[in-house]
This record gives sequence, structure tokens and C-alpha cells, in this order.
Amino acid sequence: MIKLKGRKEPWQSGVAKNITFIVTKDCQLACKYCYLVGKNIKERMSWDTAKAFIDYVLGHEDDFREESVIWDFIGGEPFLEIELIDKICDYLKLRMFELNHHWFNSYRFNFSTNGINYHTPEVQAFIQKNREHLSIGITIDGTEKKHDLNRVYKITEKGSYQDVVKNIPLWLEQFPNAGTKVTISSADIPYITESVMHLYSLSIHEVNINVVFEDVWQEGDDKKFEEQLMTLADTIIDGGWYQDYACSFFSENIGKPMDPERDNQNWCGAGKMLSVDAAGNLYPCTRFAQYSLREKKALIIGNIKDGINQNLLRPFLTLDRTTQSPQKCLECEVASGCAWCQGENYDAAKTNTIYERSTAICLMHKARVRANNYYWNKLFRKLELEERREEFEKNHRKSNPSIC
Amino acid sequence: MVQYLVILLDDTSVSYCHADNPNAERKLISIEHLKAGIHEAMRQNWMIQFVYPDYELPQEYLDVIDTIDHHDIFGIEKSNFEVENENDSVRVMDYSQLATANIQFSGGILVLRLAKKDLFEGDDKIAALLPKVERLNIVITDLDTFTDSDIERYRTILAKISEKVKALYLGGATPQFNLLTDRIMLSKPNHCNAGVENLTLAPNGKFYICPAFYYSNPDNSIGDIKSFHETSELQIPNQQLFRLDYAPLCRHCDAYHCRRCVWLNRKTTLEVNTPSREQCVVAHTEREASRLLLAEIREKATFMPETEIKEINYNDPFEVRKEW
Ligand code: SF4
Ligand code: SF4
Repeated sequence: MIKLKGRKEPWQSGVAKNITFIVTKDCQLACKYCYLVGKNIKERMSWDTAKAFIDYVLGHEDDFREESVIWDFIGGEPFLEIELIDKICDYLKLRMFELNHHWFNSYRFNFSTNGINYHTPEVQAFIQKNREHLSIGITIDGTEKKHDLNRVYKITEKGSYQDVVKNIPLWLEQFPNAGTKVTISSADIPYITESVMHLYSLSIHEVNINVVFEDVWQEGDDKKFEEQLMTLADTIIDGGWYQDYACSFFSENIGKPMDPERDNQNWCGAGKMLSVDAAGNLYPCTRFAQYSLREKKALIIGNIKDGINQNLLRPFLTLDRTTQSPQKCLECEVASGCAWCQGENYDAAKTNTIYERSTAICLMHKARVRANNYYWNKLFRKLELEERREEFEKNHRKSNPSIC
Repeated sequence: MVQYLVILLDDTSVSYCHADNPNAERKLISIEHLKAGIHEAMRQNWMIQFVYPDYELPQEYLDVIDTIDHHDIFGIEKSNFEVENENDSVRVMDYSQLATANIQFSGGILVLRLAKKDLFEGDDKIAALLPKVERLNIVITDLDTFTDSDIERYRTILAKISEKVKALYLGGATPQFNLLTDRIMLSKPNHCNAGVENLTLAPNGKFYICPAFYYSNPDNSIGDIKSFHETSELQIPNQQLFRLDYAPLCRHCDAYHCRRCVWLNRKTTLEVNTPSREQCVVAHTEREASRLLLAEIREKATFMPETEIKEINYNDPFEVRKEW
């Protein structure tokens, strides 16, 4: 690969690099909304591949100048490969130490799991060993009924709720501040309120919830969505849940027009992240691996042997909001908070480009903005009447929205 | 707005740009497609550039071509080794021809296609062409393979040729040389603009963004001449991405002479609106050489006083993207 030396990027304080190992494409479940269209049991990462990748990344310290790193493990279901993960994490710690790498002591291991194997001795031993540097998110979709609508076992199609919920107390004991991620598709809309409230009742204080970016929406879904969110708003406010619990649907900063110059950043972090799969191929984000794509060919930016082809990263690192957005988004009165996923944009685009923003969530975002306005107007009025607004502003729990 | 139509008269028409023409088998455009192409150009007010193969066309074709004002792009063979300035036609030659043939030039526009290796070794021959032609365009066919050390060599070579250009200017001549004088003459971008200002009609009767898109995959067509006649529309999905205002790096860039080759962009970065590092660094090496040339000429004479090429401290706009 040809290398033309650029000026060194300055150290980026406060910025974390997100590096993802796709350790397996297998999972015990076959969730109905799962975007991983190409899941399979064959593609498990080997130790040699993982090691070569680590050697490449840690050996190119100058190319990874972010202050800290999040080593992310996803699948399929990552805990199916706990033995490999344990070995990877040990090696990472050892090499970061030996190399006196700037990420030593500035790293986290992050997992998104379906929670089924959480209690097993192997996973528990791993947690004990790495507790200080660990974040684990368990995905639970809400009530048993809602969860089992989508999150079912392969072949038997049996719901997985009971097997997950039994691990929640242990998880919350070990990670009291942990949040869960919920993904809403068309069929889930009627269950939003009961699902969020159910998760709160399980003592999960932070619910990060998103509608899917794919074009799955039916006519009238936005109305139903708005109604659900209004009910949710009333339930949270009337029940006093707003102080200690957070739901990412409600955010003070969404629904405003955006300035084409000041607010021109890309939304999604693709390209600033890095993923590796079992074949040793590198991706700007896992969503560009073949198993995540419906229509397009995988967008591979390098491999563990040759490293990253920097030219293939350039479009990701120069992408801004205005260049990829259609006119309606540039003129949109409620644009802030309207998210996109670069991988879905690429998959849905007319050509092989990441520069065509998909707006399949347009009506859903507008519905969310209306319900969100209602939520804050109602909440602030209540707090003012109770003279508790200041206290709320200081102490209330904020969600930590992640879109992917 | 489209202003030019390139018509490839044959599958073996000469390549005059970055992409090689891989076709070895002759396939002449049908006379119907040729007439239809000319007819559409007249309806749309497009100027035509005909691109010729290395053999003599049948008289019937020459007669049809003659029915419209146009420009010609010939391979050097076609010019019988006598390059003369006739009706703005463009002659294209490869470096091997320059090295071996004894060509007589008198004016005219010459496109010289060569690999970086030839450029590094043949700077004397290249410099010797400058007084003989009205305009010399160098096309580096392996631009995307430039390394750091290639850039260093390129800088040296441009400085050497620059001496020759300076001497010509100070002697009262006005040579045009794309790598060194275009940036001095331009006050706004002059990119290739394929897909926006110009399109290509291939011998199969189909339209393409440019010849390179046809060569690399004939299935890349953006419409055919028959349906275009009915609708006056082509299917260029995401056409906006070919425009400068949709190119996040280039729209801020003042390497005005750069080709901003959308085909190379797609080949190297997978996006037509994003250039490779090599394309930018090469163009900025030329920009810097042009800046120095301008300053040196000015030391001796008053020259284009209103032109200013700023000194900059980067050679790839990507490096300063966060400052915009
Ligand atoms: S997708 Fe719709 S709601 Fe979102 S910014 Fe564009 S126009 Fe606004
Ligand atoms: S030098 Fe690079 S950024 Fe500037 S016009 Fe050329 S390709 Fe675009």
C-alpha cells in the first residue's frame, strides 16, 4: 500500500477511539428486527487474527491519536466467545503495558450482549478480572410479551425473556449505572410505554431507545408513535420517574433548526471507529461488514496484513451533514436530533455512496419532536409550580443516547 | 449545465486522460448513432469533441462529422507526425512516441500521456516540447501510485522545467503548460467537471459520465441516445455528487488547475466527490511550483500583477479540513 506521510494529527484529548472485534457472527437468538442479515455460525474469529489485529493497531500508535480507547466486542452474541475474548483482553493489557502505549490505563472493554450467558462461570470470572475497565449493556426490549415478540431463539422460536431477566439483578448489582438499549420497529410501537415502564420497574435507570433507521414504517405509524410517546410522557411525569430515571426519547436539545455552517458535523462516527472481523478485514464500522448489509457489497477499508487504506477513510472523515442531506433536511425546522446511520445510508443509497442520507425516519422524528415538546412543557410547568426546577436541572439523570 | 459532448468514434479511440483505453478491437460507432449524437448536441446546444481511432474513418463518417462545428482529439498517428495548429484540434501522444518518433511540431495543443517514471527521466524531452507547441498538457497515468519519494522527485523535476518556462516567458513567449502555468492563469477552479459540464457518448450509442467510466464498465451507462431523444433526460443518480459544491475538500481548495478527476476519485476512495491523497498532493506540488515560478518571473519583469498564489503550509487539503 502506498503511503504518503501527512502532517501528524494532534493528540485528541477527551476523544475515545472505538475499536470493535466482531468475534462471531453467531447468536443463540434470531431476533426478528436484527439488522445482521448475514448471521452465521461459521465466521468465528481465530486467536491468530485477533492477535495480528492487536499488533497492527498497537504498533501504529501514531495513526491512532485519540486520548483513550474503547475496545468493543460484538457478535452475533459476543459472550459465545468468552474464552477468546478473555485471551484478547489479557493480550491487550499486556501489550499496552509493554509498549508503554498511551492507551494503557485509558481504556475500556465494552460489550453489548443478549444477557443469556451472563451468569455463567466463564463470563463471571472475566467480569471479576476486568471489572474496573468494563461496561456491559444487556438488551432487553421491555415486557415479556414485547421482548418475546422479537427476541426469540433460533429454530424453536421460543422467547428469551425469562433467560435474560433472571440475570438482570446480578448485572445491576455489578453495574448499577448500566443502561439498556431498545430498538423500535413498526410492530413495537404499541408497546413503548409499557416496555419503558417495565424496564424502570426492573431498576434499569437508563433506557436508550431508538427507532430503526431502515425503511420499515407503515402509513400512520407516526401518529401511533406520537400517541405512545405522549402516554409515556404522562406516565413518567405523573409517576415522578423523571428525576432518577432517563429515557433517551426525551431530550431538551432536539427539534430545532440547524445552522448549515455551525451545525455541519456528521452524526455518526463511522470512519472514526474501526472494526475487524473473523477474516481479518477492517471496516469503518461494523455496519459495513457484509453480514449487516442487505443490498450493497461490504465496504472493506483494509485488512490486518496491509493495514488501513487511508484513501478509503477520506470520504468518512470529510463527510458533513449538509453534503449528504437532501434539501428538505437543510430547511427542516425540527432537524436537530434527527439521526442517521452511515451504514444504512450506504445500504439504502441509489449509488454506492455514503453521501446520500436516508430519511426513512423523517415522519417518526417529527412525531418524536412533538411528543418531546409536550414532555418538557408539561414537566417544566410542573417543576415550576412545585418550585423544584432548579433542583431538577442540577440532579436529574440524563440519558446517554447512542444511535447504533 | 452540460456544455460539451465527447463522442468516442470507435472503441479504440485514443485515450487522452488518466484511464487507459483497454479496448483492442475496433468497433466503429454506427452512422445512425453518430448522426443522432450530433442531432442531440444541436438540440441541447452542446459543443462536440470527437475522439478518433488510429485508422482513417470512412468518407461517409467524415462528411457527417463535418455537418457541425466541433473539436477533434486525434492520436498522434493520425496527424502524420506533422503537428500543426489546425482548428483547435488536440493531439495525443504517449511517451514512447515522444522518445522514438521524430515528430515535427508547429503549434497546436498536445496531450502527452506518461507514467511518472517517464516524467522523472524525460524532463529534458518534455521541456524541449514547450517552445514547439501552443499548449502542452501532461497526463500522468499512474498518479494514484505516487509515494513520498516520488513527490520529492516530482518537485525537483517541476523546478527544472520551470527554469525553461521562465526563460521562455522572459524571452517574450507565452507557453502554456498545464502543470506550471495553468494555476498562474486561473482565478477560479477549472476542473474536468465530467458528469456536470460534459458527458460522453460511446460507440454503443449510450451515454457515460466520461470515457473512463465506459472503459471501466460499459454497464455504467447513464442513458441511451434513443430515449434521450424522447425525454431529454439522463439517469445520473446522485448527480449532485459530481458537482464542486458537493465535494467537501475540493470546494475549499485553490489548486484551481487540478483535474479533480471523478473517475480517479471513485477508483481510489470509492466516492466520486472525494480525491485520494495522491491526487491532492500531486496537485499541490504543482501549485507550489507555479507559485515559485510566478515569483521568479516577477523578480525580472512585471507579470500578472493582479494574480496572487498564497504560500500555504499543507499539501493536502484533508490535513486542514478542521479549519474550514
Ligand atoms: S429527515 Fe425529516 S425530520 Fe429529519 S431533518 Fe430531514 S426533513 Fe427534518
Ligand atoms: S487538489 Fe485535491 S482538493 Fe484540491 S481540487 Fe484537486 S482533488 Fe480537489
